[in-house]
Amino acid sequence: MSLLSKIRETVLCLKAGRVTLPYPAEPRPVPPRFRGRPIFDAAKCIGCAGCANNCPAREILVHDICQELRIIQYLGRRCTFCGRCADVCPEKAITMSHDFETATNAIADLSQRLELFMSTCQRCGRCFPEPSPLERLKLKGYRFDDVASERWVFHSKGYLDTESTVADIRIDLD
Amino acid sequence: MAAREKLGFLRQRFGAAIIRADLTSDRRLYVFVEPRSVKEVCRALFRELDARYVITIGADDRPWSGCFMVAHNFAFDRDRLLVSVMCLLPADSPRIESISDVVPAANWAEREMRDLVGIEAVGHPYPKRLVLPDGWPEGLHPLRKDVEWDEAPDCDESGAGYDFDDPPEGCTVVPFGPFHPTLDEPAHFRLYVEGETVRGCEYRGFMVHRGIEKLAESVLGYNDIPIMAERICGICGCVHNVAYAQSVEEAVALRPPPRAEYIRTIMLELERLHSHLLWVGLACHIVGFDTLFMQAFRVREPVMWIAEKISGNRKTYGLCVIGGVRWDITSELSDELKTVLDKLESEWHNVARAVKNDKNIQRRTCGVGVADASVVKEMGLIGPVARAAGVDIDCRRDHPYAAYDRVDFRVITAQSADVWGRLVVRTDEVFESISIIRQCLARLEPGPIQTPIKEDLPAGRFGLSSVEAPRGESHHFVITGENNRPRRWRVRAPTYQNLQGVPSMIRDAQLADMTIALGSIDPCFSCTDRIEAVDVRSGAVKVWTPRDLREMAKRAQSGRHIKDS
Repeated sequence: MSLLSKIRETVLCLKAGRVTLPYPAEPRPVPPRFRGRPIFDAAKCIGCAGCANNCPAREILVHDICQELRIIQYLGRRCTFCGRCADVCPEKAITMSHDFETATNAIADLSQRLELFMSTCQRCGRCFPEPSPLERLKLKGYRFDDVASERWVFHSKGYLDTESTVADIRIDLD
Repeated sequence: MAAREKLGFLRQRFGAAIIRADLTSDRRLYVFVEPRSVKEVCRALFRELDARYVITIGADDRPWSGCFMVAHNFAFDRDRLLVSVMCLLPADSPRIESISDVVPAANWAEREMRDLVGIEAVGHPYPKRLVLPDGWPEGLHPLRKDVEWDEAPDCDESGAGYDFDDPPEGCTVVPFGPFHPTLDEPAHFRLYVEGETVRGCEYRGFMVHRGIEKLAESVLGYNDIPIMAERICGICGCVHNVAYAQSVEEAVALRPPPRAEYIRTIMLELERLHSHLLWVGLACHIVGFDTLFMQAFRVREPVMWIAEKISGNRKTYGLCVIGGVRWDITSELSDELKTVLDKLESEWHNVARAVKNDKNIQRRTCGVGVADASVVKEMGLIGPVARAAGVDIDCRRDHPYAAYDRVDFRVITAQSADVWGRLVVRTDEVFESISIIRQCLARLEPGPIQTPIKEDLPAGRFGLSSVEAPRGESHHFVITGENNRPRRWRVRAPTYQNLQGVPSMIRDAQLADMTIALGSIDPCFSCTDRIEAVDVRSGAVKVWTPRDLREMAKRAQSGRHIKDS
C-alpha cells in the first residue's frame, strides 16, 4: 500500500516536470489589471486632493504654498498599490502602472512631486466630486501637510498661517 | 422566529433585567441586560440553549452614552441567529462579573478587554496580561477614546511586568517560539515537558499586535478600512475585507447589488482554494514530506494567477468598498476561471489521493492533536477544527451572507477529531469550493457592482458579520460613528478561538507532535519585535535590543507626532 502511494507520488512529480519560472532573468508579464506603482500625471491633475483624502496608507501629502500654488507629493514608502487614488481621481490623472520592482537604496526615489498652479473656483474652491459621501474631503481650506518631514497633518485651517506649521516637531538630521 | 423565541425565553426567565431588545432582523438579536444579570444570561444561553460562544467586545462609549459598553456575542448556528448580550457600565467603575468560569472560551476576550479598554472582568480565573507588551504602563488602555492613536508611552525596559507561571512539579520548560522553523509568525509557547511528553503550556503571543482597530476608530475612513482590514491576515485577507464591509452594510441597512454578492462569493472561495492548498502543502512540510509540499504549491499557483487577473493582485485583492465591489468579472475572465478550475480539480484529485493514501502522513497525524466535540464547545473552536470533530458548523450555511444562500454545497465533516480529520476536511472542501465558484459563474447576472450611497451613514448603529474563513469563522462587530468612520470595530479572527484549544490538543502528547498539532489549526499570527543587523564586510554583528528599537521608533515618531492645531 505504502509503496504504491510512493510510486504514485513519484509519477505525480515526474508528470509535473519543471514549473519554476526563470525570474528575474525573464520577468513574467503581468495581466492588464495588475496594480503596480501609481503614476501621477501633472498635466491632468487639477489638485483637488481627492487622492490624498482617500489614501488608506496616508501616503499622499498636500501642501499649499499660497492661494495659487499647491504641492501634491506622493511618498510611495508604505504605499500598498491598492489603487483607491486612481479610483477616485476625477481627471484620471493617476494610473496604476505595471511597475512592481521598486526596490531601491534611496526611498526618495519612489516619491513623485507635483507642483500645481491653482486657479480659484468660485463655487467650492476645490473641485473634488466625491463618488459617495464616504469619500468626501475630510480636510477643507488650506492644507499644510508637512512635506519636509513627510507626514500627514490631520486638521487644516481656513486661512494661511504666518507661523510655521511644523514648529512643534523636532527633526533629527543625520 | 428563532430570535423571538430566544427573546421570549430570556424575558420570561430574567424579567426586568432585560432592559431593551433590538430585533434588527430574524437573524440578529441585540439584548441590553442589567450588568448584574449578564453572567446568568450568558449561562442560560450557553448551557441551557446550547449557544456557541463567539466573542466578547469592550467599547469605550463615554463620549456618547457616558458609559462603557460590553457585548458578549453568541451564535445559534442551527437557527441562523447571532445574539449580542450587551450592557452599559458606569464610566467611573467599568467592572463586570467575568463569564469565563461559565464560558471558558471567553478567557482571552475578557483579558483583552481589560488590557485594551480597561474593563475589569471581576473573578476571572486567570487574569494575566494578554495583548499589551511586558513593560506597558498599568492603567493606560489604548482603545479608550481619550488615548491618542499614536500614543507611545515610556515602557519599563527592565523585563519586569510579566511573570511566567512556574511549571508543574517534575516538569522541564521547553520554549517553543517566538521564532521556530515551523512557525511562520511569532508566538511563544512555554511547554511543560516530562521526558518527551507535554504536560501543559503557557502561551504568550500578540507580539505583532498592530492596533489596527484603534487606527480605524481614529484615523481611517469607512472606505479606507477595507484596504487595511485585508492586511490583518496575509492568507485570508479577503475574508476580513468582506466581513467588515458586510457588518457596516448591515448596520446601515444597505444591500450590495446581486452581482457584487456573487463576485464576493467567488473571491472568497478562490481565497479558500489557495489557502487550503497552501495548508495541505504546509502540513506535509511540517511532517517532513516536502515532495507533496512542492506539488501542493504547484497546483495552487494558477489560483493565484487568476486572482491577479481579476483583482490586480495575487493576494490582498482590495475587493470591497461599502456597498459593493471594485472589480468586475468579465466574460473572458469567467471563461478563464472555468479553465483554471477544471485543471485544478483533476490535479487536486491526484494530490489528494496521494496525501490520503500515504501511510507516513497517516501515522504522523492520526490520533494527534485531538480536540473532541466537548473541547470544541468549551473553547469555542471553529472551522475545520470543529468540523473534524463532527461538529457540523459552517457560517456559509448557518449564517448565509453574500450569495451563499443561492448555491448548493455540502459541509464536510469528519469524526476522528484529530489532525488527520482536519486534513481530510480541508482536502474535500477544495472540491466544494470549486463547485460553488462554478455555480456562481453560471448565475452571475448582469448589473451594477456597487450600490450608490447618497447620504452620510447614520451613527450609533450596530452591525455583526460572520464570514467563514478557510480557518473558521471570522467575526466582525461594528458600531457606526461620526466623521465618516466607525466608533468601534472589533475583529475576531478564527485563530483567536482556535489557539485557545491548543493547550488541550497537546496535553499528554509527544513533544514532536507539537508542531503538526499547532499547524493543524492553520495558525495565523502576524511581524517582528527584534532584529539583528550583520555588517557583511566586517562580519561584525550588532544586535538591536528592544530598547534600541523603541528609541528608534520614538525618534521616527517625534518627526511625525503632531497634535491638532
